[in-house]
Amino acid sequence: MGFDLSFALSTVPTILGAIGTTLLVALISCLGAAGIGFGFEMLRRSGGLSGYAVRFLIDFIRATPVLAWLYFLYFVLPFYGIRLGALTVGILGLSVYFSGYLAEVFKAGIDAIPKGQSEASRAVGLSRIDTIIFIIAPQMLRNIAAPLGNYFVSILKATPYLAVLAVPEMLGQAFDIASDTYRYAEPLTVAGILFLLLALAISQAVKRVETRLLGSNRR
Amino acid sequence: MREQSPDMATEISGLNKWYGSFHVLKDIDLTVAAGSRIVICGPSGSGKSTLIRCINGLETYQGGSIALGGVKLGDNAKETTLARRDTGMVFQSFNLFPHLTVLSNCTLALRRVLKMSRRQAEDIALHYLEKVRIPEQAKKYPAQLSGGQQQRVAIARALCLSPRLMLFDEPTSALDPEMIKEVLDVMVSLASEGMTMLCVTHEMGFAREVADQVIFMDQGRIVEQARPDIFFGAPSHARAQQFLEKILH
Amino acid sequence: MSIFDIWLGILQGLDVTATVTGYGLLFAVPFALIFGVAQYLAKGAVLFAVTCIIEFWRSSAVIILLFVFYYALPVVGLMLSAVTVSAMVLGLNIGGYASQAVRAGLQSLDRGQKEAGQALGLSRSMILLLIELPQALVAMSPTFVNHFIQLVKATALVSLVTLTDMTFRAKEIAQIEYNPVGIYTSLLLAYFVVCYPIAILGRLLEARISSGRELARGL
Repeated sequence: MGFDLSFALSTVPTILGAIGTTLLVALISCLGAAGIGFGFEMLRRSGGLSGYAVRFLIDFIRATPVLAWLYFLYFVLPFYGIRLGALTVGILGLSVYFSGYLAEVFKAGIDAIPKGQSEASRAVGLSRIDTIIFIIAPQMLRNIAAPLGNYFVSILKATPYLAVLAVPEMLGQAFDIASDTYRYAEPLTVAGILFLLLALAISQAVKRVETRLLGSNRR
Repeated sequence: MREQSPDMATEISGLNKWYGSFHVLKDIDLTVAAGSRIVICGPSGSGKSTLIRCINGLETYQGGSIALGGVKLGDNAKETTLARRDTGMVFQSFNLFPHLTVLSNCTLALRRVLKMSRRQAEDIALHYLEKVRIPEQAKKYPAQLSGGQQQRVAIARALCLSPRLMLFDEPTSALDPEMIKEVLDVMVSLASEGMTMLCVTHEMGFAREVADQVIFMDQGRIVEQARPDIFFGAPSHARAQQFLEKILH
Repeated sequence: MSIFDIWLGILQGLDVTATVTGYGLLFAVPFALIFGVAQYLAKGAVLFAVTCIIEFWRSSAVIILLFVFYYALPVVGLMLSAVTVSAMVLGLNIGGYASQAVRAGLQSLDRGQKEAGQALGLSRSMILLLIELPQALVAMSPTFVNHFIQLVKATALVSLVTLTDMTFRAKEIAQIEYNPVGIYTSLLLAYFVVCYPIAILGRLLEARISSGRELARGL
């Protein structure tokens, strides 16, 4: 039983068809991770007991595998009566896992803004809210754009983990074909090649967007 | 100390170098006789640093030749490496190895290039560290030393290989004013011991005291080459005059 | 089954987790050093080839790579044990990331370091071994610690190719005992107990290195 090239090629359209799901999962998970991560960072900055709790939670998330998180959410949520689809659980899992990393991105992005910026803004008479909206936020966004782009690529590369929950992204589709035909090598290899091409293309695109965003207004 | 004889001279003839389309060095002819002390000065971008970096092969060049003690430099890597051992280089920014102690900075090439034993190498290194008046810092790391001390270590490191020719690339321009003297003092005593020296520097006091020739470079050419009393008394080129006026006031 | 029994059961998988991590390092460390240095030194066609190999290992999704090699290698006649395939795929994936740290560490050194070595008559390989690599590797050591943690966490994947690591044990226990909260919380905690001390070590390293840098700057 060798590698059947024509069979491999016949699996391309099906696996290619799952790119939409893969990208959608990556995008929503990235937004989710950014949202939770930003919330974590705000809580951490507020100090106090919740600050310490969040600090521990971030360390905890960063010391545990994404696969264990997916199992945890997939099996524990129903135990408490929360029934979500596999896709939702998967997106939730990636969001939680990567929020631990994005919290650090926000931290670095805010820390990098010189203290004089908010002082100067208050000195010219801007309100606290205006200072955040017009002075701090734009500078923070510029600081986090590059690492955020890199984490989008990381999240994209973690989307095939959802195959273990039978979500029909690219790897999940490949496994569907494999279990129908009892041939694993061909669909998995096709999924590997297509996914590599997708990841390379997306990371190039992210790089290009970065240089366009940062090139013009970098000091 | 190695014996100095006339055939140890460094001969540079017809040296030309381009960075892309930019002509950095134009037809440089220069003989550095054994035991001579030459100071090179000139405005920034005149090619003076590039010239001495060519002499020990840190920069390639496109025309002309450089010979150290009769050995032509350049064509093959092995000879270039050998020639480098005959020249000591002191950089503007010291370039000490931060992960090694002062002593290890000095013994590294002795042990790895000349394959000396640790004892032998350390004896030589300590000898030169004494010469630059810093033997008590031998066990420290470069980051624990002041700039002036670091530069003196860099000089000792270069001396360890008993070079025929010492090259100095603006050795005092990265130093705070109060540290310049300690480095210049070391250079003066080296000169008094007969070391052949080629120094790019703007320390005109040093040039007056030590140099037997001063070279003025501008736009990649040697514009003027003269004894210091003549150079400082009455430079023959207008550019050299302007430069001296700027730098002496 | 008490929580204590669940814990013991999961920890029975620790030896497989440790074994795959250890063998993984045998692939990761040489790959990172050789390819990181090669990318730093090489030019032209060699540089392109080196970059392609690195990008293959780090831009692919590690979970897909694992399945592809696990299922496709036997088809082309290459029979490797699950441990070997896992160690190779996980190791080279992390090695790909670490090679970028090696290269970046070398590139961020002051050019004067190499020149000072040349001026002393050291050969190119001596300059690399005695001057550039020691500094680059020390400067990048916190990054290497992070990659090591990623490797330990990635070993959770081997549970998908029949190896009885901690994650596999947790799933086994889940089949005989309905206690998802206890089991999957214990699983997360097991990884935390392994990885967190390493993370602390990484932080200590980083603090030491940056205080060394400040000392260098201050004087």
